[in-house]
Amino acid sequence: MARYGMVIDLERCMGCRACMVACKVENNTAQAILWMYVFRFEDGKYPNTHVWFMPRPCMHCDNAPCVKVCPVGARFKREDGLTATDWERCIGCRYCEVACPYGVNYFNWKEPARNYYLDWGDKDLASVTNGEVPPYKNPDLDKAYGLEQRRIAGGGHTKGVIEKCTFCVQRLERGLPPACVANCPVFALHFGDLDDPNSNVSRLLQKKPSFRLLEEVGTQPRVYYIGGRPPSSESRQIEPVKARV
Amino acid sequence: MELTRRDFLKGSAAVGGTLVAGRCLVDELETLAAAPGGAAAAVAEEWVPSTCWIGKQDCGLLARRVNGRVVKLEGHPAHPRNRGTLCPKGVGQIMAIYDPNRVKTPLIRTNEKGVPGQFRPATWDEALTLVAEKLKEVRAKDPKQVLWQKGRSKQEAIYDKAFVGAIGAVAVGHGSYCSDAGYRAAEYTIGPHANANPDFRYCRYMLSWGWNITNSGGNKFCWLTWNQQLVAAKERGLKVVVIDPYLRGAGPFADEWLPIKPGTDLALALALCHVLVKEGFVDRPYLQKYTNAPFLVQADGTFLRVADKEQVWDEATNSAQPFDAQGVKPALEGEYTVQDKKVKPAFQLFKEHLTKYTPEWAADICGIPAETIQRVARELGQNAMIGSTIVVDGMTLPYRPVGVMSYHVSQQELGFQFYRAMYTVMMLVGAVEAVGGLRIDSTWKVHANFEAFEKIKIKDPPYDYTLGASKFFPIRTSNPGMIAKVMLNPQKYQVEKIPEMAIIHMANPLASFTDQPTFMEAYKKFKFVVVLDPWLSRTADLFADVVLPVATLEKYEGPIGASDMYTDATVFRLPVMDPLYQSRGELDIYLDLCEKAGLLYGKNGFLDRLNTELGLKDANALDITKKPTVREVMDRAARAAGQAEGIAYFEKNGVWVKGPVSAKKYYGYAASPPFNGIRHRLYGEALLRYQREQQAKGADKIYWQDYTPLPTWRPPTMWSSPAEYDLTLISYKKIEFKQSRASQVPLLAELAPEQRLAINPAAARARGIQEGDEVWVESHNAVTGETRKIKVKVELTEAIRPDVVGLPHHYGEVARHPWTKGQGPTPNTLFFTGEGYVTNTGDNTFHVRVRVYKA
Repeated sequence: MARYGMVIDLERCMGCRACMVACKVENNTAQAILWMYVFRFEDGKYPNTHVWFMPRPCMHCDNAPCVKVCPVGARFKREDGLTATDWERCIGCRYCEVACPYGVNYFNWKEPARNYYLDWGDKDLASVTNGEVPPYKNPDLDKAYGLEQRRIAGGGHTKGVIEKCTFCVQRLERGLPPACVANCPVFALHFGDLDDPNSNVSRLLQKKPSFRLLEEVGTQPRVYYIGGRPPSSESRQIEPVKARV
Repeated sequence: MELTRRDFLKGSAAVGGTLVAGRCLVDELETLAAAPGGAAAAVAEEWVPSTCWIGKQDCGLLARRVNGRVVKLEGHPAHPRNRGTLCPKGVGQIMAIYDPNRVKTPLIRTNEKGVPGQFRPATWDEALTLVAEKLKEVRAKDPKQVLWQKGRSKQEAIYDKAFVGAIGAVAVGHGSYCSDAGYRAAEYTIGPHANANPDFRYCRYMLSWGWNITNSGGNKFCWLTWNQQLVAAKERGLKVVVIDPYLRGAGPFADEWLPIKPGTDLALALALCHVLVKEGFVDRPYLQKYTNAPFLVQADGTFLRVADKEQVWDEATNSAQPFDAQGVKPALEGEYTVQDKKVKPAFQLFKEHLTKYTPEWAADICGIPAETIQRVARELGQNAMIGSTIVVDGMTLPYRPVGVMSYHVSQQELGFQFYRAMYTVMMLVGAVEAVGGLRIDSTWKVHANFEAFEKIKIKDPPYDYTLGASKFFPIRTSNPGMIAKVMLNPQKYQVEKIPEMAIIHMANPLASFTDQPTFMEAYKKFKFVVVLDPWLSRTADLFADVVLPVATLEKYEGPIGASDMYTDATVFRLPVMDPLYQSRGELDIYLDLCEKAGLLYGKNGFLDRLNTELGLKDANALDITKKPTVREVMDRAARAAGQAEGIAYFEKNGVWVKGPVSAKKYYGYAASPPFNGIRHRLYGEALLRYQREQQAKGADKIYWQDYTPLPTWRPPTMWSSPAEYDLTLISYKKIEFKQSRASQVPLLAELAPEQRLAINPAAARARGIQEGDEVWVESHNAVTGETRKIKVKVELTEAIRPDVVGLPHHYGEVARHPWTKGQGPTPNTLFFTGEGYVTNTGDNTFHVRVRVYKA
């Protein structure tokens, strides 16, 4: 069985954040919930300034601290490498959020239906959207997936529940890469089977030096970066997007 | 008591060991419960091809539609410009379609103008009848008193030409706020209607000149196509030199950053020319054959002509000969005597002109070390590989793999002459339209302006309100800001008639054009204003008598060229769903409006003009006595464009990929004869003539000073602002937004929620300013002494010069929208239009001296 992973080429990333928007539309995440996040960094002092960008999805760690602390088994590893969240089972204890060193877990403090950017209850819209909130609601999210047949796509968007990047499991099962990868305008994001030495991702890792974020803490992330270095304590984040955690 | 999931956990913890068993039980139950909800419900899913609406590139997209509802927009994989991807705007515009804050019905104003509007909803019939009556009324006096103001160039054939032609209005675009000084310079200097861009497939060394590589938001393919070509070229080894006061998104791709002082690009270009000439990086055969560099210039600055023909000094016969004489060997240097007159080749004059423009001289002006200028010029010269050739498509062509990418850098007072100088850099090394060199974004074609700009007859007053062929701007772009100035003071510009009615087509002059106070006053002069827009723009809010709601992605437009410069394709914009609310596509609106105004049918009516402009002939021609549906017009347009299946082909496939563009079409060198037989103008003789005529007609120096035959440096007018205005404000575009079409789209506004002033930490420290502080930015007009200020929060960045501050456009443009509330002001309030703040072609600058202090 394929065991998925992502390779992100920092030499290519132009920091456009289209992946963030593609993720939000595909997965119908509510306002301020950013499963995919693109850091914009600045290093050095004028005029020796370096500006660079780093996308940060969930790392889908093999030794995932979030899975270990989940008291109800809502967070689990799938055989294909995905670190999944069963949003029907999540009790919203937020242990995963505390345990995760990458900050990829987003808690729904509000009823997401009331947190979708605009008032979609508009009467002139109802005839077009059937009252769906958001109006671009993706029907694939409300299904059970995988061997376990658990509800792990889309995050459920339920008040009091944690959600995070799913590697777009609903797309993987259709044979499509995650939305962020499919949309990247400069093909900086790559996705595939890390166990297959001939996959696109394996070949990239054979060709170029890579790193993983916080490799030293032993989480064994399934997201690799090529073409750059990890941010240092000197790296300054610019143009941050406000997330709700 | 209601138990939350968290309480359940606490409860479970209390009973300790039973948790595991409990979980197993729940697990099983949940699995059972999950299954039926799964794939059961039947959904009707389809993928509808269309073309992106929000941006400039017209990328191909596929709309995923579920039960008639669009749930996602993805890039069309076959579209050459975006290859299956979209920029953030392309993806996020899905929310713009559904936005309940769009203008839902036609609106008619019920209160006075100049203040936030009160409107009553109207039917299309009532609104269009009213507009048609006003149109008839003004047209009866003079159709030219109808000003048609467009925001962006989409569907020029249908709107700008056929519709505007039918109503006889004066059409004005937004180009003077964009890159038009650069276009004018290209048309005059090298021929095509173009701006410089590199030949990414072959380029090895690129000057990214005021073009922010991946964030620039201006020229044709700047958001995806060139970005894709850039990363591919970088991986091949392209070296990128970024010339920009603010590094921004160019960061990861910049091999070298030259943080230049704003407004000094001309000085840098001249210094590069100085080094290239001095060190012999000169493509002599190109200059001799394809430019006017060898033309002999007399002491008065005009060309020596015999029987109307420019002369060169022939080194074979040691005599003056017509430039096109057989076997002539034209000298580029020296001084000669012909008919007792001392003459010099234009290139010799240029060399002399360059003497003082040393790297050391430019270093102070530009704020870039002389060694750096020297080295970059040398690298440019070396990488140009002058003399080399390459075989492309079976043709042996000059290979000059050095390019320039630039666009909005023309938005400076010396923009026209800077562009001339930049083209001259490329001309010296022979890279204009050579393989790997300076390219244009379409196929090579000499624009009519190449000749027209040589023969302008400057008129005597009265002038028309666009100041065409006036003594102020002999070569001119219609600048809406200058029109506003003229409307407020027609005597000053010797204009008799000013416009009475405005049709604002997807534009927002009251926010997205500079010099807001001038527009506020000028728009009060319009007797009637119609705005076509999906949202209540600031312009509509303050000045529209009638607002007509326009569809976004739910309409037909086309045909649209979809070439990425190397592969040719044609697309249409197709409705991804029915227009939301009561909105309609522009063509739909114009058909009805023309019908009501009596301008639809018959010879020279809108239908007749659609036939002409869309090339609808014979079987494809529209019956000019019968109103067609929009789809029918599109179907005929598709057939006329060569697609035998008509619009149905596009409805099925989205993109009609026609295959590779032949190199013969896009390298000017490959044309027969090369460059279609024109000579590039190193020396601008006509510019000198205009200067003299302007002087003779009594124009002030500020209008004629930059009409010089060779690009000549002078300090920008803004530098004479008092010393306390110690910073230069620049503006820029963010990749998240497209002009006034996007900052109200919540998915995009979330990424960049509010206006921020970019300032260097050192500059901030010196003013006691910290990250996030509110400050006043106060601009000063060096000519009139006016000052203007806005309050804005700051953002510290080490990527900007300490003597420069930057503000993005996009904000403050849509009125009464929940997401634009509190976004902060547009920088356009701070920029000026008019003398000192426009180029010699009337194009606007986005540079001004400011001071910044804590609010």
